[in-house]
Amino acid sequence: MHFDNKGGTRDGPPVDATNYASAILNILDDAAEEKTRLTGTQRAVLNILDDFTDERNRLGEAQKAVLNILEDSNEEKLRLADTQRAILNILDDAASETIRLEATQKAILNVLDDSAEEKTRLTETQRAVLNILDDFDLEKKKVEQVNAELRNEIVERVRAQEALGRANTATEAANHELEAFSYSVAHDLRAPLRSIDGFSQALLEDCAGSLDDQGKVYLGYVRESAQQMAQLIDDLLALSRVTRSELHRAPINLAAIAKTVLAQLQRNEPDRIVDVVIPEKMTAHGDAGLIRIVLENLLGNAWKFTRKRARPRIEFGWMPRTGETVYFIRDDGAGFNMAYVGKLFAVFQRLHKANEFEGSGIGLAIVHRIVRRHGGRIWAEGEVERGATFYFTLEEET
Amino acid sequence: MKERAILLVEDNPKDEALTLRALKRNGIANEVTVAHDGAEALDYLFNTEPDRNWNTGDLPAVVLLDLKLPKVDGLEVLKRIRGSDRTKLLPVVILTSSNEEQDRLAGYKFGANSYVRKPVEFNEFADAVRQLGLYWLILNEAPPAREGPLPHGT
Repeated sequence: MHFDNKGGTRDGPPVDATNYASAILNILDDAAEEKTRLTGTQRAVLNILDDFTDERNRLGEAQKAVLNILEDSNEEKLRLADTQRAILNILDDAASETIRLEATQKAILNVLDDSAEEKTRLTETQRAVLNILDDFDLEKKKVEQVNAELRNEIVERVRAQEALGRANTATEAANHELEAFSYSVAHDLRAPLRSIDGFSQALLEDCAGSLDDQGKVYLGYVRESAQQMAQLIDDLLALSRVTRSELHRAPINLAAIAKTVLAQLQRNEPDRIVDVVIPEKMTAHGDAGLIRIVLENLLGNAWKFTRKRARPRIEFGWMPRTGETVYFIRDDGAGFNMAYVGKLFAVFQRLHKANEFEGSGIGLAIVHRIVRRHGGRIWAEGEVERGATFYFTLEEET
Repeated sequence: MKERAILLVEDNPKDEALTLRALKRNGIANEVTVAHDGAEALDYLFNTEPDRNWNTGDLPAVVLLDLKLPKVDGLEVLKRIRGSDRTKLLPVVILTSSNEEQDRLAGYKFGANSYVRKPVEFNEFADAVRQLGLYWLILNEAPPAREGPLPHGT
């Protein structure tokens, strides 16, 4: 503060007075200073107030601005809300788009999955095809191998067939020759015999006067021999016919055939009494014609070789053996020595003297051949004067 | 009525003699013409060699035909007989040595009326000839010389 010098304090009052004056002056000085200070403070306050006003103005402005701003912000807020809404809409849209996208993606993924599966399947199929091709290759190789084998087999077969053909041709040629031979035998060998017999007979009839008894006996021998030879020729032809003829197998009743054969034998020698034992039925599978020849020979032999028995017995039967049926014809006649059994079935082999029992020795050879042609076997057992038994089968042994 | 002839086709003169003897012994007095092979038999039957003057045009009552013959064999003769209108009804008896199945089959197949095997034993042979003569010359009615119309309904 600052004071003015009106009380005199400053210019020298008297010491008491002067002291006062000085004191007043001091006080006045002090008050001036105080006033300066106050003015400074006032000024500062005013300044402050000024500043405050400014500040207030500024504040107002600021408030205004803020309000503006707030207003703006409100609008902005509205806009923002709109924008937000729009954004939300967009976001909504985006969300549904996303869902769609996801769905599409999923679909695509599914498609891709499917495609992957498809690819896997394709791969598998491809692999399978490759395997098949591999297999096919193998198979082809196998087929080629088999083909090669087949070709070889065909070649072998053709070779075999050719061999068979040659054998057949040879057989045919042999058969042809046999036929020609038999034909010649049948036609040509008999004619001279007929002459021998016929002209011997003519001699006996027409020239009986020029022949003595001995001559007639001799001519009788000539005729007998001619007839015997004719019989041999017939037997040989019969034997060859058995070989030449075809075999026609069918079910046959051996018992029935045997009965007709025995009935014929009985008619030829009605006085003979023979006990015959034959079952009612005895079936076989064979050629009826040829089997009849077998039975004619075997039963004929039994009939013949029991001639010296008063009441002979002839039995025709069968017995089962492992896998086959064995037929047998048994008699209690002259029998034979087993030492010669090997000759029994050979052509022109006889075990009895001609004046004892007639025969050409061909019958059992024919029987043997027929049985063999049926795939069967024949064998015999005998004892001199105690009878004979002939066994035979008609099928291949199984 | 003139007795009709027998045609014997036989190449073996001994068989011929035996056959003639058997016929004679059995009282068969019919004329017997002998052809010694198949060709001669055909000449006789078809009168293809008129110079030989052995056929008056009448056919024999029966032909006794051997099978195994020179030149033309018996079966061929038989075929020719059956193949001609003139001779197709002529009775033909095959008289042969063979009784082979193939011969019998062929004989009947080609139309033989009968098949007889010549027995070796003369008495049997003579008996066979006797029966043949009896049957074919006496018992059997020969076919008509010419074919007439067949009765209706056949």
